[in-house]
Amino acid sequence: MRRILENIKIAFKSLALNKLRSFLTMLGIIIGVGSVVAVMSIGAGAEASITENIQSMGTNTITITPGREQVSMGGREVSAESIGGAQTGTDLMEQRRNFINGFTENEDEEISAGELHLEDVEALKEEASLLEEIVPVLTGGGSTFSYMNWTGSVNITATSEDYLNFAGYELEKGNFFTADDVSNSSNTVVLGYNVVTDYFGKANPIGENVKINGKKFTVTGILKSVGYTFGMSADNSIYIPITTAQNKLYGIDTVNQITAKVTSEEVIDEAIAEAKTIMRIQHHILPGGNSDFEISSSAQLLEMASSVTDIMVILLSSIAAISLLVGGIGIMNIMFVSVTERTREIGIRKAIGAKNRDIMIQFITESIVLSLSGGIIGIGFAVLITGVLGAFTTLSSPITASPVIMALSFSTAIGLIFGIFPAMRAARLNPIESLRHE
Amino acid sequence: MNMNKKIIEIKNVTKIYKIDSLKVNALNGIDLEIDNGEFLSIMGPSGSGKSTLMNILGCLDIPTSGSYLLEDEDVSKLNDNQLAEIRNKKVGFVFQTFNLLSRTNITGNVELPLIYSKGKKSRSRKDLISEVINSVGLAEWVRHRPNELSGGQRQRVAIARALVNDPAIILADEPTGNLDSRTGEEIMAIFQSLNRQGKTILFVTHEIDLAKHAGRIIYLKDGAITGEEIIKDPIDAQKRLEDMPKLEDKINSLGENISL
Repeated sequence: MRRILENIKIAFKSLALNKLRSFLTMLGIIIGVGSVVAVMSIGAGAEASITENIQSMGTNTITITPGREQVSMGGREVSAESIGGAQTGTDLMEQRRNFINGFTENEDEEISAGELHLEDVEALKEEASLLEEIVPVLTGGGSTFSYMNWTGSVNITATSEDYLNFAGYELEKGNFFTADDVSNSSNTVVLGYNVVTDYFGKANPIGENVKINGKKFTVTGILKSVGYTFGMSADNSIYIPITTAQNKLYGIDTVNQITAKVTSEEVIDEAIAEAKTIMRIQHHILPGGNSDFEISSSAQLLEMASSVTDIMVILLSSIAAISLLVGGIGIMNIMFVSVTERTREIGIRKAIGAKNRDIMIQFITESIVLSLSGGIIGIGFAVLITGVLGAFTTLSSPITASPVIMALSFSTAIGLIFGIFPAMRAARLNPIESLRHE
Repeated sequence: MNMNKKIIEIKNVTKIYKIDSLKVNALNGIDLEIDNGEFLSIMGPSGSGKSTLMNILGCLDIPTSGSYLLEDEDVSKLNDNQLAEIRNKKVGFVFQTFNLLSRTNITGNVELPLIYSKGKKSRSRKDLISEVINSVGLAEWVRHRPNELSGGQRQRVAIARALVNDPAIILADEPTGNLDSRTGEEIMAIFQSLNRQGKTILFVTHEIDLAKHAGRIIYLKDGAITGEEIIKDPIDAQKRLEDMPKLEDKINSLGENISL
């Protein structure tokens, strides 16, 4: 133990003797460890925030979007059968059969990405026993919003009266638009928190008239702040009846997506299968034909989001790991230089009784001290990066123990691995020749 | 301890260096016995095999053939690590070029052999170090580094380092070669004093005047011992120092002459 402390002392002394050189050698490790730890922490933070956001929406939501269903190599449907098709209600199966009989065999099976309509929502509301709060959503980014002389860009979320409950938002003041507003395509708007502060300041916007893409709307309510989801804030959005958006703003009859809550988490697979059957009937799709829509659950979304962040973290970490490798090579290089420079010292130590092992341990200790110091400084560097990031963005990425432990063991291992060859060369030096070395 | 006990016994030692296909006989069958407590000088011109003999005596190298008993232990066939241990315990080196660690202070340099030897508690270590540093008269310099000392002082540090593990022999390889004559004489005085305290000292030189400080001189030429001389009345370094005018006195008298 005393010998080890002695070696660490010698190592620090000799590193302090060439401060700039030691620092430059460490730099590779500092950058490598710093970026690995920072990337891992940021990745973990991002994943946590995505998970939290998805979970805040509830893990029992499903989303129907237009799009071609993915098929396997054999052309057979994958998800329809795998997602509990067997449990589908018998009455639905019957309906489906009746409906299919109405079509000829020659019906074109090639189905392009379909469209979603309000009729689909009505059908789901009517038929689905496992879904509640079924809402259509039509979004439009960058619409012009103006109040008096102020004009700017906002995100429009056009939806139905059930959206408030579905999303779990709360009103700060006023009312959300009603079913009547939706059926009448009335020009009412509910404002997100940031829109209110941006355009009205402390004034009360309820009952005020605003213009959206040049059309006049009346503010009926304002929402409480909800924070960020996927880096976008619902606070920056305004909410209008979906029919108003379709008829008066965009002149279309489709919706972007249909979202719904499943009555309970346990029946999520059954609910997806049920919704699928209803939608296929609604869209006149033959058995064996590909659906023109996709259904995803928030659980799937969660899985996908976490796998995406995992891949990003692995990718960025491997790039950072290359820097560690380069840093290791730098250490090896400088250790070889150090051995050559200190040949005489090695000769003296050997003449006085140092064994090969003693010399080896001395130089390996030095390279580990070099690498580990770099690692520790690198962790400090990572703390700085994530701290700055946390201060300027909403992404909180606390440094956890595992990347720190990993970084420390990695830098120790690098010091050991890249220090062995120079240390072996030092240990094998002939004492007589070393003493003659100038 | 019996003063006449043999501390070193070398029989028919040879050393052959192979340089490519060329064989160089550095030592051709050396026989040598050294008594405990002896002060022995080895003299010879360059290329006489002095250095090779010193390396073998100091256990830095092993002979090609022949036997070498150091305190009755055959050290002629030991491996690197065993030799390192013998060097640490039984040999104290004093080199012409001092060979101190320049970045380490005096205490650290003297401590070095202790770092590589097992046992010895740190308390007795500290006492031991200050004891040997005092014995060479450098007590005030313990915190200094070698490059802050004069040549003579550096060689004293080297002697202290050689003494700290209480070795069987002290090997001094032209220890005064880099020093002026007065300082060299001071170093010789230290060796003589150590010898009087019972230390066995081997002293390599090519100056007969220095060799005569020892009790016996061995002459070496072309890798063989060519002669031996017993010095009945060795030069007393201490006495010589008293007779020698100090350098500063010389400078003073020189200065007076110029001012006239």
